[in-house]
Amino acid sequence: MSDTLKALVQACRAGEADYQDLIDRVPYARFLGIQVLAQGEELTFILPRNENNLGNPTLPALHGGAVAGFMEQAAIIFILLQMGEPRVPKTIDFTIDYLRAGLYQDTFAECRVTRLGRRIANVHISAWQKNREEPITIARAHFLLSDENA
Amino acid sequence: MGALAAVTDSAVPYTRMDVCKRSLETVRHSRMLGLEVLSAEEEGVRLRLPWREDLVGNPDTGVLHGGAVFALMDHAGGMANSCRLYPAVEITPTIDLRIDHLHAPTPGKAVICDATCYRLSAHVTFVRMTAWEEGDEQGEPVATGQATYTRMKLDRSGRVAS
Repeated sequence: MSDTLKALVQACRAGEADYQDLIDRVPYARFLGIQVLAQGEELTFILPRNENNLGNPTLPALHGGAVAGFMEQAAIIFILLQMGEPRVPKTIDFTIDYLRAGLYQDTFAECRVTRLGRRIANVHISAWQKNREEPITIARAHFLLSDENA
Repeated sequence: MGALAAVTDSAVPYTRMDVCKRSLETVRHSRMLGLEVLSAEEEGVRLRLPWREDLVGNPDTGVLHGGAVFALMDHAGGMANSCRLYPAVEITPTIDLRIDHLHAPTPGKAVICDATCYRLSAHVTFVRMTAWEEGDEQGEPVATGQATYTRMKLDRSGRVAS
């Protein structure tokens, strides 16, 4: 199974496969409706406005859990593309700060790998709606890349 | 607390369980996840997240996505606030939440989450969450969470007061 993942990651890197295929193989990513926009080597993740992701009905605002799941999945895809031997990273911890309400609009996210070690990756994720200088949430997460000898 | 609290509580036309069930009904994403309230007491709440194929994060293993467990914890924490604030009604947006994934829940098994508001200050609530595989609630947790929420008091019309 992981051979097919490796082949897909390599095809994405080579520009022979769509990054969206990497996302669409994850059932929960399809559940949220996550999309990806690649501009050169830059990836922006998109959580399109979708009523199934609503939390507070009166505002209305997105469910904090949906935004968090979107950001976590964005980070997983982002790391996967940087791994020499691509294997689905396991989330160790995920910490999110909610800065503004996530309105019933499209949400965007970008990732920055702070450190990619052999076993652990530290990733920063930022999500916004109006513009990226006004994030609605920022998150920090650690992922286990290899559980050999763990 | 004892007798007086009991009298006061019985005068309230809704229970903590009513408050939590109403919260679940109105929050569409939690309904889509299939969340269920199992208990709602002053000390905290217990919620259930089913294992479902469309909530899987790793298609090679069938393990639930961390995001689904996160959403479970976030809403459980909100309900723990409601239970602590009861019979007062406030909305409590999340300030921050950290989740630690201690080990992967077994594919096919539902996840049970307890949440407790252990400190209610004038403007902030402090909540802890613990999650287990269903049937193993006495065993090793699969995840723990720690969160703060901000308190927004509602006026009589149900609008945010300040």
